[in-house]
Amino acid sequence: MSLSSVLLVSSMFLAGCSDEKTSTDKGGEKEGEISGDITVITQRTDIVDTIFKDYASKFNEKYPEVNVSFEALTDYGGEITPRMNTKDYGDVLLIPTQVPIEDIPSFFEPLGDLAEMKDQYMGVEERAVDGKVYGIPIAITYTGIVYNKKVFESAGVSEIPKTFEQFTEVLQKVKDSTKAVPLYTNYAAGWPLTQWEGAVTTVAGDPDYYNIKMINEDDPFGKGKPHYEMYKLMYDVAEKGLIEKDPLTTDWETSKAMMGRGEIATMVLGSWAIEQIKSQADNPDDIGYMPFPTNADKVIFPLGADFQIGVNKNSESKEAAEAWVDWFINESNYSVEQAGGISASKSAELPEELKQYEEQGVEFSLLTPANDGQEGLLDKIDKESEVGFWLEDHKKEIVEAGIGNRKESFDDIADRLNKDWNKARAKIK
Amino acid sequence: MKFSNLPYKKQQLVIIAAFSLIPVALLITFAYVPVMNMIQYSFTNWNGFSKNKEYVGLENYKMIFTRPEYFKVFTVSLYYFAATFFQMGIALYFATILSFNVKFKNLFKGILFFPYLLNGVAIGFMFLIFFRPEGTLDTVMQAIGLGNIIQLWLGNPDIINISLAGTSVWRYMGFNFIIFLGAISSISGEVFEASEIDGANRWHQFIYIILPSIKRIIQLNLILAISGAISAFEIPYIMTGGSNGSETFVIQTVSIAFKYGKVGLGSAMAVVLLLIVIIVTLIQKSAFKEEE
Amino acid sequence: MHVPVENRAALYYEVFYFTAWSVFSTDTDRGRFFASFKTGKEYTSTSPMTPPENWFNFQNYTRAFVEGNMLTGFMNTTFILIVSIVGATLLGSMIAFVLHRFNFRGSKALMGAFVLATLIPGVTTQVATFQIVNSLGLFNTRWAAIILYLGTDIIAVYIFLQFLDSISKSLDESAMIDGASYFTIYWKIILPLLKPAIVTVIIVKGVNVYNDFYTPFLYMPKTDLQVISTALFKFKGPYGSQWEVISAGIIIAIIPTVIAFLALQKHIYNGFAQGSVK
Repeated sequence: MSLSSVLLVSSMFLAGCSDEKTSTDKGGEKEGEISGDITVITQRTDIVDTIFKDYASKFNEKYPEVNVSFEALTDYGGEITPRMNTKDYGDVLLIPTQVPIEDIPSFFEPLGDLAEMKDQYMGVEERAVDGKVYGIPIAITYTGIVYNKKVFESAGVSEIPKTFEQFTEVLQKVKDSTKAVPLYTNYAAGWPLTQWEGAVTTVAGDPDYYNIKMINEDDPFGKGKPHYEMYKLMYDVAEKGLIEKDPLTTDWETSKAMMGRGEIATMVLGSWAIEQIKSQADNPDDIGYMPFPTNADKVIFPLGADFQIGVNKNSESKEAAEAWVDWFINESNYSVEQAGGISASKSAELPEELKQYEEQGVEFSLLTPANDGQEGLLDKIDKESEVGFWLEDHKKEIVEAGIGNRKESFDDIADRLNKDWNKARAKIK
Repeated sequence: MKFSNLPYKKQQLVIIAAFSLIPVALLITFAYVPVMNMIQYSFTNWNGFSKNKEYVGLENYKMIFTRPEYFKVFTVSLYYFAATFFQMGIALYFATILSFNVKFKNLFKGILFFPYLLNGVAIGFMFLIFFRPEGTLDTVMQAIGLGNIIQLWLGNPDIINISLAGTSVWRYMGFNFIIFLGAISSISGEVFEASEIDGANRWHQFIYIILPSIKRIIQLNLILAISGAISAFEIPYIMTGGSNGSETFVIQTVSIAFKYGKVGLGSAMAVVLLLIVIIVTLIQKSAFKEEE
Repeated sequence: MHVPVENRAALYYEVFYFTAWSVFSTDTDRGRFFASFKTGKEYTSTSPMTPPENWFNFQNYTRAFVEGNMLTGFMNTTFILIVSIVGATLLGSMIAFVLHRFNFRGSKALMGAFVLATLIPGVTTQVATFQIVNSLGLFNTRWAAIILYLGTDIIAVYIFLQFLDSISKSLDESAMIDGASYFTIYWKIILPLLKPAIVTVIIVKGVNVYNDFYTPFLYMPKTDLQVISTALFKFKGPYGSQWEVISAGIIIAIIPTVIAFLALQKHIYNGFAQGSVK
């Protein structure tokens, strides 16, 4: 992406969020005038003192009068939420997924109108309320399966599996003819199991499914439905012994290196993980990425938003805070370099790697946002029912049932989830 | 008029007021006010964020008592409960022995207390390696010829709670130990000397001197340990997040309140838990009284 | 030392127990110790029980110390530690003194209130506690942690009560004959005699404060206010952890506590040992 287009986008963005700045040509002067102290809260404890410090100094080249300081939280959701009942939760922060969507306007400053901003940024609909945007995704990633090409080769797999059946066959071959773990769940860390959820759209083969169709269904975990099919795979591989021997003592760090060495064949993960695993491999080219298996005709790589960055409604330096948001999204290159995804900005080019998939006929697609009047409904039902689509609790139960640690069968769990879903849906409607 | 010139009766009143003022203020502000708020939340459907909290009466409590699965997790507490007695026993045993003259006693004190010096991150990390197949525990068992009883220490749902309770003993035993050690050191040496002249052996000294002298501390430790068992949280939370049948009541409460945004329901659960802990503590206290 | 014959067998038993315990302790720690000398690649590719290739690989230590800002951490921790321990010791001994020496109406209730407070599981009341700390204007200051640590430490009160049992009331009475006030009695007579109890409280409380990372993360997340226990999290991000550096950080963090413990525990005298040496 060229520099001029960056500037163009950023000034468009500023124009969108602040009425005063209607003309873009004065941008340079305006920028110098913005001043204030801002506190930026991040979940990146690992790079807050290094990369983020660099960001601050680059940001200051453009906005010398803004003083930026950082706070990093280790358990982001857990630590930010108690603070949100006060006014003191930084100036720029990530919108915690725990905040119900309808309550977002009481905590965050609107960044602009959805009608305008959705042409510039991907994923801004997700936490928009009443046509106003409150957050922009810090990165867009896609979900699929990381695999080791060498392991596939020595198992005699020449073609990338497409359907569920083919995929399970491949895993079985890996088990029979190599020493590698066919599919590593990373159960102990918990969060890797939630990565599966990102692939529901691949299974459905339909970007409308998640936000538009599912919400009107009585049984999202009913037989034949994408959630059922997908998590049935999780159950089946566990039941057939195609996963690690002791899921309880797995370690995420070690798993990356194991895959790099060819001791693991596949892991279901977001695209952000590819680089990390490659960096641990003896030969980075051994590591490949493929879409989640599906029985649908069309193969979709669903694009999903990472955390969304927003501005505290009670901030005393909103202009400076908004300038940071704008700079962070459009100029820091955080999304590519630090989050292993792509920028939410639509004017940013797709990285080279993604182009190869498009050649293979794989489509990249954003999920269709919910219909008018149903925004936030899914999130509400999800919390009320305790189904927790994006939480690991029930996924862990599925693995436990698969390895025989639970009395419940997969269908029992699916029934239970359907019941909870329905009860909550009836209560909310 | 100077304070020291006041009559002792008046001084007493002043000292009582002055010495308890700050601790009581802290106690109220940081322990009782939050509990009051929690009780208040328990009658609402607050999600932890919304500006308005709707009053729902006893609905949360009804919900808790109509869902027996909420109480099933208390069976997990039984493991920690049993471990507590073991933990107290060895802490008391080691504290007693190390009060006598034993070779290398400082070294042993250090070793016993060491686990308590580590922070939670370290514990989670270490025990992952410890319980892993072919990890430290398996290696040790192989070496001492017990290789045939090796298990998936966390992977087996029948054993996981024993492993976690064991970890908890390893971690907190040092704490009880150092407190018992401190308490035993308050006993005057003369008492021991006199008993030795009377021909008492160590067992007698333990039963007739040490135990009665530190009864109060033992009682407190038991109360804390048992209430800690009922509300066990940290070890299972950092090690397994409550999965594979290791979920405790507090883990359950925390996830309902904060993961699923049901602070009202979570608060009601916490109130129920607190009541259970209080009842158990009262039973325990009255049991001690009867013995006296 | 003279050991009676019938006790000798018991002694061997004890030695056996202790040895078993220490093997167990050090064996689990060994992996972490080894890890601290390994390179990132070596850590993920070798068994935890394999010794490192190069024992002089101190790179992880320098990284933990420098990048983890452990110096700032040590300074903040020291400040918080000193203020909260001094405070907790004074408050605890004061309340114990009052409860032990005076019989007054409400003393039972006061004691009960302290015990009851420790029975509350803290995680469940965090939302309300946070609001209180914030409304006092303490959020993002070191005083937030200090005041929470000062709180209500029933253990300390009980330890002091235990020791007050062994400090004879006749000491108070003779001081009163000399015209000392109750405050003088507390300050000049009781407090110095409580030394072994104070040492115990310092050890227990100190370790607690030193290792707690939950309170600092929640109540003082500002980078300048980081403490030693939060330094480790610099190497534990949402996408990955550098265990080899964390291991080094844990070793660095634990050195001062081990030294402090070894220095302090000698001051927990004990009656019998003194008696039998004579």
